[in-house]
Amino acid sequence: MKSFKSIVIAGLSVVVFAASVLTVQPASAQSSAALSIVPKKNYVIEQGKSIKDTLTIRNLDSQKELKLTLRVIDFTFNDDGGTPKLMLAEDAPQTTWSLKPFVTLPKTLTIPPKGSKTVDMKVSIPASQGAGSYYSAILYAAGSSDGGNVGLSASGVTLAFVSIPGEVNENLTLEKFGAYHSPTADNKGGYVFMTAEKPKQIAYTLKNQGNVTESPVGSITLKNMFGQEQTINNINPNSSLALIGQSRTFTSCIKLANQDVEFNGGTAKSNNCTEPDLWPGLYTATLDMYYGQNGNNTKELNSTVHFWYLPWWFVVAFIIVIAAVAFGIWRLVNKFKGRNFSNQRKKLSRRRK
Amino acid sequence: MRHTWVRLHAFIFNWRHIFTEELVALVLVLFIFIAPASAAMRFQERSLYINSTVPGATTSYEVSFRYMSPQPVGSVEMLFCIDPIPYHTCVTPVGLDVSNATLSTQTGESNFAILSKSANRIVLTRATSSIPTTSSSYKFDNVVNPTDSSQPFSIRLKSLSSSDGTGAQVDFGSVRGQVTDGMVIATQVPPMLIFCLAQKVDYNCGGSDDIFYTDMGTLDSKTTLKAQSQMAVGTNASGGFAITANGTPMSAATNVIDSPSSPTESTPGKNQFGINLVENNDPEIGENPEGEWTNAIASPNYSVPNMYMYVPGDVVAYSPNVSLMKKFTVSYILNASPSLRAGVYTTTMTYIASGRF
Repeated sequence: MKSFKSIVIAGLSVVVFAASVLTVQPASAQSSAALSIVPKKNYVIEQGKSIKDTLTIRNLDSQKELKLTLRVIDFTFNDDGGTPKLMLAEDAPQTTWSLKPFVTLPKTLTIPPKGSKTVDMKVSIPASQGAGSYYSAILYAAGSSDGGNVGLSASGVTLAFVSIPGEVNENLTLEKFGAYHSPTADNKGGYVFMTAEKPKQIAYTLKNQGNVTESPVGSITLKNMFGQEQTINNINPNSSLALIGQSRTFTSCIKLANQDVEFNGGTAKSNNCTEPDLWPGLYTATLDMYYGQNGNNTKELNSTVHFWYLPWWFVVAFIIVIAAVAFGIWRLVNKFKGRNFSNQRKKLSRRRK
Repeated sequence: MRHTWVRLHAFIFNWRHIFTEELVALVLVLFIFIAPASAAMRFQERSLYINSTVPGATTSYEVSFRYMSPQPVGSVEMLFCIDPIPYHTCVTPVGLDVSNATLSTQTGESNFAILSKSANRIVLTRATSSIPTTSSSYKFDNVVNPTDSSQPFSIRLKSLSSSDGTGAQVDFGSVRGQVTDGMVIATQVPPMLIFCLAQKVDYNCGGSDDIFYTDMGTLDSKTTLKAQSQMAVGTNASGGFAITANGTPMSAATNVIDSPSSPTESTPGKNQFGINLVENNDPEIGENPEGEWTNAIASPNYSVPNMYMYVPGDVVAYSPNVSLMKKFTVSYILNASPSLRAGVYTTTMTYIASGRF
């Protein structure tokens, strides 16, 4: 009987131990969630040709392996900005600009702690493929955790753009142009015609109705009421794109500060807007913009807009000055009237005498 | 004095009546005949075809355009600059060299030869002659491409009546080009996006607590369950980054705890699952984003203290530009109504970091 008890106890101990190990294991088997990837790739590939490239991925975790599943997904635009809207669903319909059929990638990848790996990627364009822009995203999905109410999983995405040269349909229309406030934590931002806050940016919104992504170039001239000019020479310093069908807002700093910053062992160029030298008053902004793919017509868009920069201190000072001038005039008129009246009274009194 | 004014008025009145019609006619003549003839027009159907767009490659350029003014043309100037605007200072694209260019083919208005050339300028010449408004193209061999693929360049075109590239211009316009294969600048690291995630992470993604889940406790209708996770992100890509939050709201089998789709206060007793990325005091949870770099921010909807929401696929943090490392703390709140069905409610939040276009 005693031996039966000890067998049962020993068996239960094994079950409890095994259960505890099994419940802990999924969490410890979780992949690393720290990675470094290439954010964007651009290619020009002619019909009937292919390119081979490599994507380098680093595992930043010093303890765990990075286990990744690679998948090509489509994306479109979220709004008038440059954030991709990823189509993550397995059954998401393929877009007309999808690169999915043309890209070959490995399906999984394991990177040791603090290690890196290069992935071979091939993009093959069929000979019958029409000219234009094609784009998709490469999703690197790390394994998700088991356990707890909220599991965490990290993924990275490389945006891949392919341009197939040839005769394309390019059609940009200018929807908006003017002074612009960037969104902040306190302010949603947008175009302004009259603003009390000094505008740091001029923006323009373009609707892309062609079959290629567009990256416009050109300049904006800003003129104050007294004819003094300042020019924004590069209206698209980040080479941002208007995707097919997108109304894209491009912003340009009125005064740009270029800065070399240390990033991960090298230097990177950062373009930031700084406080521009603007006096209160009416401003005229003129846009001269060009776009066009290799071998296609270069097209131009031009526009002129006005906006007011009227800070509160200026409005208050202006009202005070106007009130003071009005008061002065009123006083002068009264004084003049009073003098005339007293002169007339003097004349009358002299006549009576 | 009064007489003087009366005399002046009579004089002006009289002359105005006499010359009104003549003046109007003269102005019209000036507008119709003189102004258009003297005004330069833009070339139409302008294009540039670069045979090989590899940076630094020696290749051929074909410049095409349609002459618009029916005036005699003796020369055409092509100036290679970064900026297409004719009246701006010309900055030569880095690496471009047209000093060895040869004119190999010409169609439309032809009989041109190269008069002069430098690293960024070609002047074509011929005997001055009138032209119809025709499409023409000029192909140049032995052109060395610019080496910087990060920015486009332009060719400023100008036709002139003189045959030596001087004097008044007839037509003008610019064409745009760009080399497209990437260039590696030795002093710059290639674009990269660094991203890490856990319950706690280091500011520079150098380490984390390697905990990737949170047990929020037992749901009841009187208390708010809370949890937090952290993520750090940075990029040297000029387009910046975006982080989206993905995954279904909390669910147990078919029962789902809905999430507010706009920033909403946490209300115990009401089914709610929401997140934000700032410090809160109701309930006390979360931290404001850490990092001196101001480019990277939490999305406005997810940066209101004590207000929570969650829409799968929403951008929760982004930077429109280069951003050094920045750490974001995500706060989670979970409330349940008394009628919520019993079960183990779970979700997996997948944060996706991507570049921007």
